[in-house]
Amino acid sequence: MSVFLAILWKDLVTEWRSRDRVIAMGLFALLVVVVFHFALPEAGADRLRPALPGLLWVAYVFAAMLGLNRAFAVELENDALAGLALVPADRGWIFLGKAAANWILLGVVQAATAVAFALAFDVRLAAVAVPLSGVVALGSLGLCSIGTLFAAISVRTQYREVMLPLLLLPLLVPVLLGAVDATAQLLDEGRVSFAPLQLLLVTNAVFLIVSFVGFEYVLDE
Amino acid sequence: MNAPVIEARGLEKRFGPVVALAGVDLDLPRGCVLAVVGPNGAGKTTLLRLLAGLARPTRGWVRLEGVARGRREARRRIGFIGHATFLYPALTARENLLFAARLYGVSDPAGRAEALLARQGLAQVADQPAGSFSRGMAQRLAIARGLVHDPQVVLLDEPFTGLDRPAADRLDAQLRNLRTEGRTCVLATHDLARAAAVADRALVLSRGRVAHAAEGAPLVGETLERAYLAAVDGSA
Repeated sequence: MSVFLAILWKDLVTEWRSRDRVIAMGLFALLVVVVFHFALPEAGADRLRPALPGLLWVAYVFAAMLGLNRAFAVELENDALAGLALVPADRGWIFLGKAAANWILLGVVQAATAVAFALAFDVRLAAVAVPLSGVVALGSLGLCSIGTLFAAISVRTQYREVMLPLLLLPLLVPVLLGAVDATAQLLDEGRVSFAPLQLLLVTNAVFLIVSFVGFEYVLDE
Repeated sequence: MNAPVIEARGLEKRFGPVVALAGVDLDLPRGCVLAVVGPNGAGKTTLLRLLAGLARPTRGWVRLEGVARGRREARRRIGFIGHATFLYPALTARENLLFAARLYGVSDPAGRAEALLARQGLAQVADQPAGSFSRGMAQRLAIARGLVHDPQVVLLDEPFTGLDRPAADRLDAQLRNLRTEGRTCVLATHDLARAAAVADRALVLSRGRVAHAAEGAPLVGETLERAYLAAVDGSA
C-alpha cells in the first residue's frame, strides 16, 4: 500500500510542477471538440444528438492516449523505470499507483472538456452532472487500468507513440460500448439503466485484475 | 564456513548473436568488495544488471543469500547505483530520497533521508530540484538513493564518474565502511587505482569473458593494471 501511495504522490507532484501532461491532454481534447463543432452541420443539430455521446468519448479517448503515452516517458529519464523494477514489492502496487494518477489527471481534463463540449453543442450537462461524473469515472477507470499496463509495455518499443493505440484501442471496445451507451441514456432520459454499468463494472474488474497481475512481468527487460 | 552472499554459475547473456557475457562464476562472501574492470563493452554493466535482476541471463543462475535473482526477497537485499541515477528531476533531493525510502518500506523515511543527505554533503541543497544538480551532485544523491534501505548487497556501476576529488574520497570511505559493516559490494569501474585500494577481489572482463581474476587485499595495482591493459589491447 505504501508503494501505491508513494507512486501516486510522486506522479501527482511531478505533474503539478510541470503540468505538461494535463495541458497537452486538455488542449488536445479541446481541439477535438472544436473540430467537431465546426466540422458537423449546424442545421441538423437534432439529428446529431445521438452522435454526441460518441463524440465526447472520442475526445476523452484521444486525450487519454496522449496522457498514457507520457505516463511512462517520465520513467525513462535517468532510467527510473529500472529503479522501479528493483523495488521489493508486488509490482501490482506500482501499476495501481500509476493507474490512479492517470485516472485523476484524466478526470481533470474530462471535467474541463465536458464544459467545452456543453458550450459547443448546446448540451445541458448540469442537470445530469453527478450521474455523468460517475459514468465517466467508471469508463475512465477501465481506460486507465488497461491503458497503464499497455503504456508500460509499449514504452520500451521503438514506435511507442503508435504502438499504444494499436494495442489498446481494440481492447477498449467494451469500455466504449458501456460508457457511450450510459452517457447517451443520461443525455436523453436523465437516467441510466443497469446494463451499460454492468458491462463497465465487469470490464473494469477484469482489466484491473489482469493488469495488476500482468504488471509483475512488464518491468522486466 | 562463510556462505557466499552472491553466488553465480555459468552466467551468460546474449543479445541476438552478440555475446555480452559468458562463463562468469562468482562466490562472494559477506564483507567482500569485488572490483570488475575492463574496457568499454567488456560486459561490466551487463554483469551488474544480471546480478541485480534487471536482466535475465540467457544461461546460468544467480543467488543472493540463497534467494534466486529477481525475487522480491532478493531485490530487498540489493542497492543498485547505476550509470543512470534513477532520480526524478522535478522532485527535490529530499523528495527523491523520501520517495525511494517509501518504496522500500523504510521505517523512518524522513530521518533516513536527512541522515543520507548529511552524509553525502547535500543537506544545504536538499530542497532544490534534482534536475538543477550538477553531474557530481546528482551522482552523490544517486548513491544516497541506492543506500536508502540499508542493503546487504551494493552494486555500483562506475560510481566515481562525475565526482570531484573530495566526493570521490568520500565514496572511497563509504565503500570501506560498507565492507567493515559486512556488506558485499560489486564495483564496476575504470579507475584502477581506486579499485585496487578499495577492493579485495578483482575481475578483469574482456569481450564478456573473465580475462583475469585476482584475490587478497590489498590488490596489487600493477598486476591489475597489466591485466586491464591486456584486456584493452585484446578488445582493440
